[in-house]
Parts: sequence; C-alpha cells; structure tokens
Amino acid sequence: MALSTIVSQKQIKRKAPRGFLKRVFRRQKPQLRLEKSGDLLVHLNCLLFVHRLAEESRTNACESKCRVINKEHVLAAAKVILKKSRG
Amino acid sequence: MGLCGNIARVSLTVAAGRRTLLLAGRLGGPGAETMADHNPDGDPTPRTLLRRVLDTADPRTPRRPRSARAGAQRALLETASSRRLSGQTKTIVKGRSRGARSIGRSAHVQARGHLEEQTPRTLLKNILLTAPESSILMPESVVKPVPAPQVVQPSRRESSRGSLELQLPELEPSTTLAPGLLAPGRRKQRLRLSMFQQGVDQGLPLSQEPQGNADASSLTSSLNLTFATPLQPQSVQRPGLARRPPARRAVDVGAFLRDLRDTSLAPPNIVLEDTQPFSQPTVGSPNVYHSLPCTPHTGAEDAEQAAGRRTQSSGPGLQNNSPRKPAQFLAGEAEEVDAFALGFLSTSSGVSGEDEVEPLHNGVEEAEKKMEEEGVSVSEMEATGAQGPSRAEEPEGHTQVTEAEGSQGTAEAKGPGASSGDEDASSRAASPESASSTPESLQARRHHQFPEPAPPPGAAVLSSEPAEPLLVRRPPRPRTTGPRPRQDPHKAGLSHYVKLFSFFAKMPMERKALEMVEKCLDKYFQHLCDDLEVFAAHAGRKTVKPEDLELLMRRQGLVTDQVSLHVLVERHLPLEYRQLLIPCAYSGNSVFPAQ
Repeated sequence: MALSTIVSQKQIKRKAPRGFLKRVFRRQKPQLRLEKSGDLLVHLNCLLFVHRLAEESRTNACESKCRVINKEHVLAAAKVILKKSRG
Repeated sequence: MGLCGNIARVSLTVAAGRRTLLLAGRLGGPGAETMADHNPDGDPTPRTLLRRVLDTADPRTPRRPRSARAGAQRALLETASSRRLSGQTKTIVKGRSRGARSIGRSAHVQARGHLEEQTPRTLLKNILLTAPESSILMPESVVKPVPAPQVVQPSRRESSRGSLELQLPELEPSTTLAPGLLAPGRRKQRLRLSMFQQGVDQGLPLSQEPQGNADASSLTSSLNLTFATPLQPQSVQRPGLARRPPARRAVDVGAFLRDLRDTSLAPPNIVLEDTQPFSQPTVGSPNVYHSLPCTPHTGAEDAEQAAGRRTQSSGPGLQNNSPRKPAQFLAGEAEEVDAFALGFLSTSSGVSGEDEVEPLHNGVEEAEKKMEEEGVSVSEMEATGAQGPSRAEEPEGHTQVTEAEGSQGTAEAKGPGASSGDEDASSRAASPESASSTPESLQARRHHQFPEPAPPPGAAVLSSEPAEPLLVRRPPRPRTTGPRPRQDPHKAGLSHYVKLFSFFAKMPMERKALEMVEKCLDKYFQHLCDDLEVFAAHAGRKTVKPEDLELLMRRQGLVTDQVSLHVLVERHLPLEYRQLLIPCAYSGNSVFPAQ
C-alpha cells in the first residue's frame, strides 16, 4: 500500500474481524447488544460499503485520467457513498 | 651454429630496425608482443632477442672455463663489430642503447665468438643459477650503477671470463642490489615504471629473463608488474589496517591478567562479566546510546562502533571491562566523555598501538576540552586520571588519580586509587588501542575506586552500579512500546478494510488516499451504529438482530426485491459464514441456524 504500488493481493483475507466489529459497536453503543451472527452481517455491510467506495473512487480516478487513486477521488467518492449508505 | 646464425640474423635485423613483427612472431610469447608494444618503433629489446634465442637455441653443454676464456678473447675481437651494431641499435632504441649494447654485445659475441660450448641457453641457465630472483624494477640508484659498471666493465672483459659471464658480475651486483631494493621497488613500481623500462634495456634483461622464467608472472612483461602492484600500495596506503591486529592481541594478555586481578576484588561484577553475549554489545551500545544524543557527528559514532569492534576483538579484556563500563552510567556524562574521547582518539590516532600514548594524550586533551565546554567535572577528572597513568609514571598517576578522587570527594579512594592507578597505568600502557583503553582506564579507575576503599560500600555501590545501568537501559525500551496498544487494535481492524478497499480498487493508491479511506470507514461505522440503534429502538428491542441489519441494507439499496440478503451473503461471504447466516435444513429434520 505504498505510494504507487498496485495491490496484487491474490489471496485476500476473507475472515471477518468479528472481535473488532463487536468492540466498535460496544464502544459506540454500549447500551445495545449485538446478536451472534449480527456482526457477520455487519461485516457484510462493511464489505459492500468498501466495495462501493472503491468502485466509485476508481471511477473518479479514471475520469480524471490518473493512474493512481488520489485523495480527492476518494473524498468525492466518500461523499456520494456515505450519502447513499445512510439508513 | 644455427643458433649463432639466428643470433646474427637477429642482430642484423635489430640493426636494420626491421621485422620486429617477425621477431615477435618468432618469440611468440606475450611478453614479446608487449615488448613490441613497448617499442612502437619495432625495436627488439634484448629480452626479445634472448627469448628468441632461448626458443630457438639448441641445448648444448657448455665448457665453461675454456669457453669463458675463448669468449673473453672473442669479446675483445668482437667489440669493434659489436659496437658498430650496438651503435645502430642505439640509434633505433631510444634511451636503451646501453642495454642494447650490452645485450647486443653478448648476442654478437655469441654469434661470432665461436661459442660451440657456450650457448646463450646455457649461459642463461648459469645466470638463472647464479642470479637471485629479483623484480625487473630497479630503483634509480640501482639502475644507474648498472649501466655504469656495464660501461666500465667492458674494459675489464679481458680479465673476466666470457661475454655473458662478463655480464654476470655486472648483473649480479645489480641483481644483488635488486632484491635488496625489491621490497621498496615493488611498492614503488608505479612510480618507477620508466626506470624499469630503462633497467630492462640497460642490463637487467639477462637477469630478468631467467628471473622471468622463474617468475613468469612478474617478468614476462612489464605490464604484468604494473598489474601486480596495485595490491601492495593499498596496504601501504593504509598501514594501520595491517598493523592494528597484531599489536592489539600481543598486549591484551597482560591487560587481561591484570584485569583478572582487579576483577577478583569485585565479585558482584562477575555477574555482568559472565554475561558474555551482553558484554560486547553493551560495549558498543552504551557508547552508541549516549553518543547519539551527545555527538551529532556520525564520525564519532562510527569511531565508537569501530572502537567497540576493536574492543570486541580483544576478547578477554572486554569481559573485565564490561563491568566497569556500567560504572560509566553513574556519572552519566562519562559516557559522553568516552564518546568524545573515542571519537577524538579514533580520529586522531586511529592506527598503531605504539602511538597509543600520544593519541591518548591528544584524545584525552580533546576530550578535556569538550568536557570543559560541557562543564562536566567528572569527565575532567576521568580524563586527568586517564592522562596520568597514560604517561606511565606511577607518582603522576597517584597524584592525578588522587586529584580526580579528591574532586570526586572520596578521600578513601586515594590510597586504593593510587594502587589502582598503578594497575591502570600498566593496564593502559598494555592496552594497545587508545580508543578502547580510555574507556577501559576510566572504568577501571572507577572500578578500582569503589571496591578497594570499602568492600561493603563498594559492593553496595557495585550492586547499585549493575542495577543502575540496567535501570538506565530499560527505560528507553518501554517508551517505544508505550503508544502501541492505544490506537493499534482499532487501526488494525480498520486496516483490514483498507486493504480490502485497495483490493477492490485494483489501482495503485496513495498513502493519503488510504488514510482518507480510514476516515470514511470511521464515519461509516458511526452511521451504522446509529442506524442500528434506531432500528432496534423502533422494534422495541435493545438487541440488534439480523432483521435490523437487513432493513438497513434495504434502506441502503443493497437489498432489493430482486437481490435478497441471502444472495448477497452467498456472494460475498465465505462458506463458514454462509452456513451461519442462511438457515439450512440438515438431517434429522433440523434447521440451522434455528429460526
């Protein structure tokens, strides 16, 4: 993940950081409880969100004809996707 | 007679100055070619001639005594004719006339001197036997006398034996001189190439030829010599590298013995001594530690590291010195002093152990200056103490050590300090390396001071000494590990998704973009938790259930009438999670997960 290195992770980790997700939820909403497989769905949600974000930022970068995804691309993409992701 | 004829032809061609290529071809060796290269005019040097002679000559047994006399007579007869030819060769060979003359004479004499018994080969063999091996290179002092005797001795040829054998006395002194000057000559071969070339012609070729046969590598061509030289000058340029190791080891034994005696007085330090793997790194590391904040100069650090390596190489002395090294930490500034002293010493002296005293003075003086700048009294005392014994005079050591101790405020240390100063003086004088000796001496002094005056307080102090350095060493470590646990798990978890982002993007990304992604993820998680809370509250629950998640995803637009949650689960999640999420019917009429 350096400046301009193509991430060629052929073997991406598919494991869900369940502990991390649970910790985040508990920090955010200590009064709430999360069900067993709920964090898996949360993980799924995160995956989809990240996926959309990546696609959007990639589109932005291609539109600006940059070979590297810049901060601005990500920012613009985040604006759109976060607006989309609000429930 | 064919040989003589060949030699005659050779001489004629030499005189004519033609067919050097022919000569070279005949001689066939690379040396001949190089000689040809040397002589762009195509002048066959005596060496080429001789080589050719050797190659073509038929081996014959010489009858030396008769041939010698006959040769002498023939030399007399032939001198006139040989001079003619040699004169011709002189014109051709620039600056090598003498050599050509001498060799030409020999060749001509051989050619016409009816040398049935004496062949050049045999003569050369004799030369091989008699002349000692020596390099072609002759210093000027030798080269000049060589032509001089050659000029003088032709007149003596009547009295001497044969032509070539006449040349033997000419060459032998040159050759005898050559080996004597061989060592310096070889070292200065680069500078003396011209002289070498002169010497080649002037009378060394005969000797050089057999020597060349003996040392084919060196004498086959002048070029080879030049190739051989670069190795030596390098060692000469850096004599310190060659001289350091032996001087070091020779002395360490004495220092080691003394250190043994010294360490016997301080049992607590044995604990540190035994830790050999740590003793050596502590030698360098503490110096490096304290040198870094103190001395921004990388040179000082390198010097310390080099000193550390040197100290490491002097193995036994180290073990005893390592416990004393902790004594440095007591002062605190002592390390800086040592760093400076090491740096200055290494920079100033840096070479021979013989000069240890002088660089000790210089380094310590410089260290003192630095100390004065820093205003470290302790270091000054140590420097003075180091200087005292370094002067190798016990009374001075006594006084200075006492001064140092008095300044330290430990009156008791005076007496034992004096005795320790003696030992230190001897040990320091013994230790070859100035850089290492100063820290050793400083530590040794401190080491001696404490145990000797009062063993119990000394033991207490010593016990505190190892404790203090340990304490001093440890604090730096946890500092680095301190800030890790705070943000790291959160960042670690986020990094997982950031990696996924970069994976999904399939394009190179900037680091700032990735940081941006982290921020986005944080925001997203906040939004997520808020939404889930709202949904759960809307359902009148305090627990977030999968239905809430599905609702969320529907609102996000991920789950539509066409795309159900299960589809998404199947798409994006691995099998293990799929099984957990999607209810599936199993055997025994059971559904997992239960709905």
